[in-house]
Amino acid sequence: MENESGDAAQIQVRFITKQEQYAVSDSPYAIQSNVKTEQLNTLVNALLKENKTNIEKVVDFDFLVCGELLRTSVAEHLREKSISTEETLLIEYIERFPAPTPQDCLMHDDWVSAVDTHGNWLLSGCYDNSIHIWNTKGQHKLAIPGHTSPVKAVAWVSLNESEAIFASGSHDQSAMLWVWNIPSNSVDCIVTCRGHDKGVECLAVSADCQRFATGGWDNSVCLWSASKSTEDNVPSKKKSKPEMGHSREPLTTLKGHKEAVSGVQWMDFNTVLSTGWDHLIKLWDCELGGIKQEIAGNKAFFDADWSPLNRSIITASADRHIRLYDPRSTESIVKATYTSHTGWVQSVCWSKTCDTLFLSAGYDGLVKLWETRSPKTPLFELTGHEDKVLCCDWSNPAYLVSGACDNTLRIYKAKHALANNI
Amino acid sequence: MPPFRIGFLKRKINPDEPRNDTTEEEITDIKSDEELIKGDLDGGSDAADSDCEEEPVESDVERDAVLFDDSADSVLGENDDAEDTDESDGTELSSSEAENSDENNSEASESENSKDSGAESGTSNVQSLPNTSGQSTQRSNRRLSQRKATVKEKVGAAERAAESKQTRDQIDVLSERISAANVSTQPVQQRDEYESGDTSDEEDRVNTAGDVPMWWYNEYPHVGYDLDGRRIGKPPQRDQIDEFLRKCEDPEFWRTVKDPNTGQDIVLSKDDLKLIERLRTSQIPSESHDEYEPWVEWFSSQVLATPVRAFPEHKRSFLPSRGEQLQVARIVHALKMGWTKTRRQRARDRRRDKVKKFYDLWGSGEVEAEGGSGPRARPVPAPRRPPPTHAESYNPPPEYLLDNKEMKEWEKLSETPWKRKYTFLPTRHAALREVPAYPRYVRERFLRCLDLYLAPRAIKMRLTINAEDLVPKLPSPRDLQPFPTSESLQLRGHTGLVRSVDFDPSGQYIVSGGDDETVRVWETSTGRCLRTVDVGGPVARVLWTPASGLSLVAAAVGDELLFLNPGAGVGAHRVAERTDELLERAPPQHDVVMDERTRACVTWHEVAPDGELWARGVRIVISHFKQLVHLSWHAKGDYVAATVREGGARSVVVHQVSRRRSQLPFRRAAGLVQAAIFHPQRAQLFVATQRAVRVYDLLKQELVRKLRTGAQWVSSLAVHPRGDHLLVGSYDRKLVWFDLELSGRPYQTLRLHGSAVRSVVFHRRYPLFASGGDDRDIVVSHGMVYNDLLQNPLLVPLKQLRAGEPRDQLRVLDLRFHPTQPWLLAACADSTLRLYT
Repeated sequence: MENESGDAAQIQVRFITKQEQYAVSDSPYAIQSNVKTEQLNTLVNALLKENKTNIEKVVDFDFLVCGELLRTSVAEHLREKSISTEETLLIEYIERFPAPTPQDCLMHDDWVSAVDTHGNWLLSGCYDNSIHIWNTKGQHKLAIPGHTSPVKAVAWVSLNESEAIFASGSHDQSAMLWVWNIPSNSVDCIVTCRGHDKGVECLAVSADCQRFATGGWDNSVCLWSASKSTEDNVPSKKKSKPEMGHSREPLTTLKGHKEAVSGVQWMDFNTVLSTGWDHLIKLWDCELGGIKQEIAGNKAFFDADWSPLNRSIITASADRHIRLYDPRSTESIVKATYTSHTGWVQSVCWSKTCDTLFLSAGYDGLVKLWETRSPKTPLFELTGHEDKVLCCDWSNPAYLVSGACDNTLRIYKAKHALANNI
Repeated sequence: MPPFRIGFLKRKINPDEPRNDTTEEEITDIKSDEELIKGDLDGGSDAADSDCEEEPVESDVERDAVLFDDSADSVLGENDDAEDTDESDGTELSSSEAENSDENNSEASESENSKDSGAESGTSNVQSLPNTSGQSTQRSNRRLSQRKATVKEKVGAAERAAESKQTRDQIDVLSERISAANVSTQPVQQRDEYESGDTSDEEDRVNTAGDVPMWWYNEYPHVGYDLDGRRIGKPPQRDQIDEFLRKCEDPEFWRTVKDPNTGQDIVLSKDDLKLIERLRTSQIPSESHDEYEPWVEWFSSQVLATPVRAFPEHKRSFLPSRGEQLQVARIVHALKMGWTKTRRQRARDRRRDKVKKFYDLWGSGEVEAEGGSGPRARPVPAPRRPPPTHAESYNPPPEYLLDNKEMKEWEKLSETPWKRKYTFLPTRHAALREVPAYPRYVRERFLRCLDLYLAPRAIKMRLTINAEDLVPKLPSPRDLQPFPTSESLQLRGHTGLVRSVDFDPSGQYIVSGGDDETVRVWETSTGRCLRTVDVGGPVARVLWTPASGLSLVAAAVGDELLFLNPGAGVGAHRVAERTDELLERAPPQHDVVMDERTRACVTWHEVAPDGELWARGVRIVISHFKQLVHLSWHAKGDYVAATVREGGARSVVVHQVSRRRSQLPFRRAAGLVQAAIFHPQRAQLFVATQRAVRVYDLLKQELVRKLRTGAQWVSSLAVHPRGDHLLVGSYDRKLVWFDLELSGRPYQTLRLHGSAVRSVVFHRRYPLFASGGDDRDIVVSHGMVYNDLLQNPLLVPLKQLRAGEPRDQLRVLDLRFHPTQPWLLAACADSTLRLYT
């Protein structure tokens, strides 16, 4: 026992883990109750070294006590949870998510309002009405003018070696579908989607890349075809202005929100989730065009993200809190509240690989990486932005990307993805 | 005094009776005496006779004697007098007139005597009735007496008849009785009792000694005093020899008695003797009483053929008396209710009251609670004695026992024992049974009693009023959520004072204008400035049209009212196009007609589509004759009320956008108009002047009401979205809430600010209102208006929000709530807009 001796009471603990390679013996240990994560870490590492000689380097662990990450001393943690220190305490340890490191800062001409990652390519929407394509190394590939108002949402539809398709939504009341020829580095707007009466605020592409959904200030959610082919288009002969290019009308318009739709997400190929300023989360059935479920919050929602891994919704609303909703549960739909931001949270994003991690961007200039079991303290605060952070993305598990009002897009590299989650 | 004594006393008062009594009188006297013994005297006729002879008596004594001859009574009196004169030789003479009066007196007393005896003999003695009445009449004539005599005879005859003929019917007797009784119904003459000069004084002269035992005067030669204070002498005392001599000499001696009151000798009259005899033989004293009078059966068992009375019994006599019943009922009720008590209860109470009561002042109070006496029901606990200490133990711990030093001190203080540490000497005993009797026991119990006696026995009710209790109970702000609590966004971009802000109807955009001569459009969610329009003058007021689906902003720039269409520049293309289309439609010319007065102060300019102004978004310019200070859209979005600074009667101009025309609604200046706003539903206009707010009906063109604010200078006003409540802010730090349904007086005056209030605003959906000014804080309050007209609005100040830094002592110039969210936007003097959520 390498604990420093103190007056604190001793407690009996037993270490368990779900990661087999780090398993230690089941026997209970008596430790000082005022130990913190670092000391537990040292202890577990020492135990590991005793048992398994194949692990040379020191592994950092996080410790879960009673389903919550240990952030203070064990005694304090137990006091908060009001758990007796007499019984043997089960401490689960998991390998700590390594700290992301800032990798790049991509300068834009104006506020970066939207960002999306796919593989090595970054797509960013800017308030100067342009869309930018970058690679993860930080090289600027293309600046695409086309919208006449700030671009509020961008999303990759599909990406292969030679050709990529992406969609963008803007305050000029339209969404555009673009084709990017990678070898020639040329972009073509294949279709303009006109259906919203007011600005498009959010955009999401379905998992099968066939459709995408947009939400806007006209209180409606529109579903569009994302195909390249022109059969979905409105016949161009009707259009009086041929220079506008092809235009497309929505497959379905889902009307039901009373105020602006601030976020859309696909839950599966048939279900769309939308959040609005009318304090509602709505789950839509795309086939029927009707509402499947409605969850009422008490603040205007700004963004929401759905994780297929843990099937829960994380929302950002007009306050400092991030809320975790479980649409399956019947009572007390808010499962957890994460509070650490000091301003509005504008954007949230689940990890695509780990069901307990998510990213949030707030108006306090911080991007935070959260673990769902630690509601008070985030795992990491990603600093660097000097103004309101408007968007964040974690589509590529290796890169955490955020765009802010200081005209920058920042890329943080997540060094490592957890073994069992990959 | 029994009636027979009256005459008896009268007689002896005359000590000096006429000395001219002769022996004849004595002879007659003897004769009468004999008669007395015979007992054949007819009292009735005798009395009547004496009555008849009364008048001549007083003058002639001789005749008197003669006349009195046949009357035993008067003879007796004469004799008496004679005897008196013999004895009272040496005594002073009373006047002769007294003699005369006495004569009268004797007669009066005589009549009285008989009258009384009649009364004594009882009412049943019907026979004597005519007698008495006859006697009482002073001047009865002979005829009357004769008639009486005949009546008497008749009665006597009737008696005899009843005795002799037993078979005779009762009714006959009865009728005869009635007829006999009728005689007495003739009016009785009232006799004047003072006519003969008789006074009560003379009667009282009998006993001059007063109500004292007479043997007190045994040693004295006098008995009492007369009215003039002179002694009244005793009659001469006689010894045994004299008595014997008198016994031998005096033939009257046998009927002479001595009056113990006066010591005089009294010779009993014949009547007296008769009376005494009757009493001795246990007879009824009155002579006239007839014991063997026939019995008249007034109420017999025999049923008479005809009723005694000629009329039937009244129905009333068969029924229980109603009044009596009521009276009984009242008594029973009073008894039931305990208002009155029965005699037994009263007796019990008296008995209980007699028993002395003692109160146990320090008792538990249970006993007294039975009595139900109010103040005693709550007893005061007796002050407790301090519990015994260890030193008082029979076997105290050694540290409590006095050691040598302490013992010395104890001894030293023997003179002043109250200075000692203990009142007793702690002593150790091996066992409790060895503890001796405590010598101070009685003393201490006494002191304890004294303590209890002087201890306060009243519980002092202390009235505790907390300052918090006086504050009205308001709900907790926590229960009144949502409301803005913290600053979320700062919109920076203006370079001067921001004078005015407004949201677009959907809440997506913010428009602001200020002293930097620009109108800016912002995005609410991010705080980005989307568009800046240079308008070439300081902007006093900007307002987005309340009509949804249009992007039209009215901006007051100097004396011009600009209608801007900012939509195109901020991305709302379709809305902007629609607005432009609407504005392009020129109204028919005949509608545009304005009268001379209006045309003189307002000019409309349409902006040409290809001009530089158009590119900036300006669509219509309306020039006014003076500077604009306030603007207000009508809820439909067609009318704008513009307030002109110091415009007099033309202070308020109403513009109609669709018809491009203006109106001056007022002919007369109401005062210095500060602001004019439209009622949200009705065609009414609220016009705020310095002190008051006037409500005008625009259709009827009349003043509906005038609201006195009580403030010195109104700065701003806001109408509740329902239209029946008005909030007025003033430069003298007041916030006045009017309930228009309630009265023209302020419903509540809120003093939430430390300095001038410059802006007040209602939320369109939530029950919130906010006020801001030169104060450090913006105050957000809860203003709940109920559908129930009986329930007053609930006003609760909720939150103070820190405004920006002051500039020229200004802080907040305008406030606006988000149309749908509980967010508050403030235009601050430090050239920022702050969004509180």
